[in-house]
Amino acid sequence: MTPAWFIQSLLNGLSIGSVYAVFALGYTLVFSILGIINFAHGAVFTLGAYLTYALAVGSFGLNGLLAGVSLPFTLPFFPALLLGGFLAGLAGMAVERLAFRPLRRRGADALLALVSSLGVALILVNLIQYLAGAEIYAFPADVFGGLPPAVIFRVAGKPVAVRTAQIILFAVSLIMLAGLMWAISRTRAGKALRAVAENTDTAALLGINVNLFILGTFFLSGVLGGMAGTLIGTSYGISGPYFGVAYGLKGLAVIVLGGLGSIPGAVLGGLVIGLGEAFLPADMSSWKEAVPFVLLFAVLLIRPQGLLGERMEQKV
Amino acid sequence: MSLLALDGVCIDYGPIRAVRDVSLTVEQGEVVTLIGANGAGKTSLLRAISGLKRPSGGKVTLAGRDVTGFSPDHLVRLGLAHAPEGRQVLTRQTVEDNLELGAFSRKDRPGIAEDLEAMYVLFPRLRERRGQLAGTLSGGEQQMLAIARALMSRPRLLLLDEPSLGLAPLLVEDIFEIITDLNRRGTTILLVEQNAGLALARSHRAYVLEAGQMAVSGPSAELAQDERVKRAYLG
Repeated sequence: MTPAWFIQSLLNGLSIGSVYAVFALGYTLVFSILGIINFAHGAVFTLGAYLTYALAVGSFGLNGLLAGVSLPFTLPFFPALLLGGFLAGLAGMAVERLAFRPLRRRGADALLALVSSLGVALILVNLIQYLAGAEIYAFPADVFGGLPPAVIFRVAGKPVAVRTAQIILFAVSLIMLAGLMWAISRTRAGKALRAVAENTDTAALLGINVNLFILGTFFLSGVLGGMAGTLIGTSYGISGPYFGVAYGLKGLAVIVLGGLGSIPGAVLGGLVIGLGEAFLPADMSSWKEAVPFVLLFAVLLIRPQGLLGERMEQKV
Repeated sequence: MSLLALDGVCIDYGPIRAVRDVSLTVEQGEVVTLIGANGAGKTSLLRAISGLKRPSGGKVTLAGRDVTGFSPDHLVRLGLAHAPEGRQVLTRQTVEDNLELGAFSRKDRPGIAEDLEAMYVLFPRLRERRGQLAGTLSGGEQQMLAIARALMSRPRLLLLDEPSLGLAPLLVEDIFEIITDLNRRGTTILLVEQNAGLALARSHRAYVLEAGQMAVSGPSAELAQDERVKRAYLG
């Protein structure tokens, strides 16, 4: 274990962990308001990556319905990331309208929305497969324009390489996390959102349009999911329509580890799991997918409510 | 024209009819109290007025406008405020944030600041605790916060559900003093109260709800002398 390896792993872990945090916050926002997990979040993550890819590259491969079709324009990476995130946010709103609100209006058991959101996820994933095919997509190497592919420096004589994609992952995630946490704790809309999360009836009696805030929450959640998908896609490639499934499960591990419904918990959980994966020795890398769940298991043994979770008395 | 009128309101929970064919009116400037045993449907009726529960029959009219089935946030903008049973303050936000959220439907910042100050004058305890999380307040302080928060929307009609519930007798007197005072300054109040003696003493008119139906109604001073009411509610 050299100092260079330590620094390299630390940077890798912070970079990927911050994206996990962004993605997991999408789950957390919906959970803190409705008390249920939105299983379509992983599909929105996938959709965001595909949308940004389409906007930045202009066309898909040869297998889907969209083979041979190309956009009349392409966007530079950052506008594509933002627009892709925005469109994923609209998809999040569609998930609320299709999978959640109809059940809520009829007073159905909240758990049923798990099933309907899973249904919407399947529809989305299959739609992507139908349109863009099942192939793997990698963002072109020059997606960030003229930026060099990596920054290399030396620690105690050994090289440490940080890819530009990793720096962008970390910077974008950090901006999103900071902005969101500021907005929720300081702004009027953020306070109203917390009111809806604590008690929808009370919030409604204060004059807050609860359904509008729920819709807005799904939008935000979709933006977070879609942008996380794009960021991971730029760094590791888009592994096909089921891209979001593995990350969807990882995201669940993150929020349970951090404490269900806790925003700082989602951030901490993301970082812990990202670092846990990064510090896994190279000869054990085939165990990487198991790391989140091993960590989750270990933490839950000691703290059943998660790292920063509250005991769940009122929230069920 | 009455400020509030219910006409033949029915409320169902699944197959159970909790409120049957209830009509009542509240005139501008009045304090009207609704008394009745536990489970008589008082809280259901308030929830139907403020839009939390959709009535299955009948009509709710606010200032001459049919508002049956309107959403709670819409009704707040029309001048209705409801301080619900069990206080329901936002425990994880500060006293001041609770009060400011009470004015969520308003956009006039100077007016909101003015009203916030007025609430602190009316409830000095809340000023002392303005930065504290509402969940850390005592029951009486939470009740004051719930009333103050409801007033922050500048309502024409204030619905109060069991403001004395769980409070020490001295505090109950204080709360009723404040209710009378608010009314003198022009707020119309519909009050649900288990403490029937006090409620009758502090209101203009009263309705008695029994098993979801209207049993008796009239001026509070008369009802306080009514043998049946005395036996059932004044012990």
